[in-house]
Amino acid sequence: MIENKSKRLSYFGLLLPAFLIYIAIIIFPIFVSFGLSFTEWKHFQLKGFIGIENYINIIHDPIFQTSVVNNFKIMLVSVFGQIPLGVILAYLLFRKWVKKDQFFQMMIFLPITISSIVVALLWNRVFSPVGIYTAFIRSVTDNPDYVVKIFENPHHAIVPILFVLLWQFTSLYMIIFIANLQRIPSSVFEAATLDGASEATIIWRIVLPELSGVIYTCSVLAISGSLKSFDLVFAMTGGGPVHYTYVMALYLYQQTFTFNNYGYGSAVSIIIVILSVGFITIGQKIYKNFQNKYE
Amino acid sequence: MSKKNRDTKISNGTTVFSYTFLIMFTIITVFPIIWMTYSSFKLMGDIMINPLSLPSHPTLANYLKCFKYGNMGFAFFNSVIYSGISTLFIVILSLQAGFALTKFGYKSAKVFGALFTLGLLITVNSVITPLFIMETNTGLYNTYLGVILPYIAFGLPMAVLIATSYIHGIPNALVEAAVIDGATYNQIFWRIILIVSSPVMATISVLSFLGNWNEFLMVFTLTSGQNMRSLPVSINSFAGRLNQDYGLQFAALVIGTIPMFIFYLVAHNALIEGFGEGALKE
Repeated sequence: MIENKSKRLSYFGLLLPAFLIYIAIIIFPIFVSFGLSFTEWKHFQLKGFIGIENYINIIHDPIFQTSVVNNFKIMLVSVFGQIPLGVILAYLLFRKWVKKDQFFQMMIFLPITISSIVVALLWNRVFSPVGIYTAFIRSVTDNPDYVVKIFENPHHAIVPILFVLLWQFTSLYMIIFIANLQRIPSSVFEAATLDGASEATIIWRIVLPELSGVIYTCSVLAISGSLKSFDLVFAMTGGGPVHYTYVMALYLYQQTFTFNNYGYGSAVSIIIVILSVGFITIGQKIYKNFQNKYE
Repeated sequence: MSKKNRDTKISNGTTVFSYTFLIMFTIITVFPIIWMTYSSFKLMGDIMINPLSLPSHPTLANYLKCFKYGNMGFAFFNSVIYSGISTLFIVILSLQAGFALTKFGYKSAKVFGALFTLGLLITVNSVITPLFIMETNTGLYNTYLGVILPYIAFGLPMAVLIATSYIHGIPNALVEAAVIDGATYNQIFWRIILIVSSPVMATISVLSFLGNWNEFLMVFTLTSGQNMRSLPVSINSFAGRLNQDYGLQFAALVIGTIPMFIFYLVAHNALIEGFGEGALKE
């Protein structure tokens, strides 16, 4: 009996420090955020309960609408750019069709170690009039006065950011896919080759079905990751010029910390959570359909 | 004979494609970083005239300015404190939780485990506003603890997941034998679980350290004093987008990059394994 009691005490003694920190800093604030989203603030003071007015104002704000569109573009590039490129890179390295595959892997993975702030400022310089991208285009097009103008276009200003996201995160997926490819028994590949299966057949019939689970997991991560992107956009463009490159997290930051409108900012964060859960649920449905079709 | 034929069949088209693809990808990945590094030894005028050339008169002037006016030394120290202390706690707390969740056989373990997993979907954005209000009201705002606690909290869900699945694989007999020998659970944790879990400890440490070293939003919003800033926040305010001294900016970027490059060279196996395990951050 005493034995049981001390066991239970040890159980909670081991579990609670982690659990309490986690609950206090992540779970509790979510509920606070939800409550705050129905309130109005002025001059750091709580003014009162205003129902869903914040939500209505947010949805009608053109800057928020631009942000949603930009987040959506980031999501598309993450799911349909980073992940497929990651699969290709992983497969090329996994099959060891090149010598020095370890070298390639290590170089391509390098950006993962760099902070998004550094990445953003570096690529700002790359696209600047004294940058390597500008120099490259100048020499290719033979136009010594070329400068990058895409940032001025309201619809395409986000494109350089999308490119940098590919540069920064593709290798993360590459590493995950390599780890999962290594779990496929090599006898599977040997048998397929002995049976005379073409490379396309191997990829289509063995590799992609084996990877489908992890591709799905990565898509979920890419979606939730793309909805929270902040650092890179903040340091690279700050949402500008005008508000062409705004994203939801930046909008939230501005409302909370520039305008001190805590209620409004909280409502934005709740919208981000809802969208994130929504997209992941849709993704799950699509994945289930896909599975049913192939089983 | 036929095997040899097949090999040559693969090598022709595929090898050329593989090399082209990988070499191009590597150049696009690495060249900007190399350019940044050598440009940091050039003065602004030199960069304006010859943006691509190697430094004709390499100088350390940019670096001296960064440390003198940019508070980089202090920022570096703060980054070490923030990431180091939070990593230490993430490792210990997650392994303790993982031990409790797998080797005690209580039903509540499933509920606690599920609650931790839920945290994987919650991002800093969704709690930053209430966290800021809570910290300003409790006096945690602009303190080391006020950054370290959220760093620990946001590192825990993934770390607990990794620790739980690893400790789950440790044979129960190991724990039971120790219990029969009269060891307390606390002793079992420090003398057995911690030792046996050293591989997963490495994984959790490198992932947490890297993630928190590069973290920006929390330090940016939960601190205000110059002397509380971490490296990414200092770099952004000292050498940010509006800075016109490119040489200085490159030097600041290199200062922000070097520590993690060294870390990567030393720990790249643990790092690649850690990310490969499906342990993902940002």
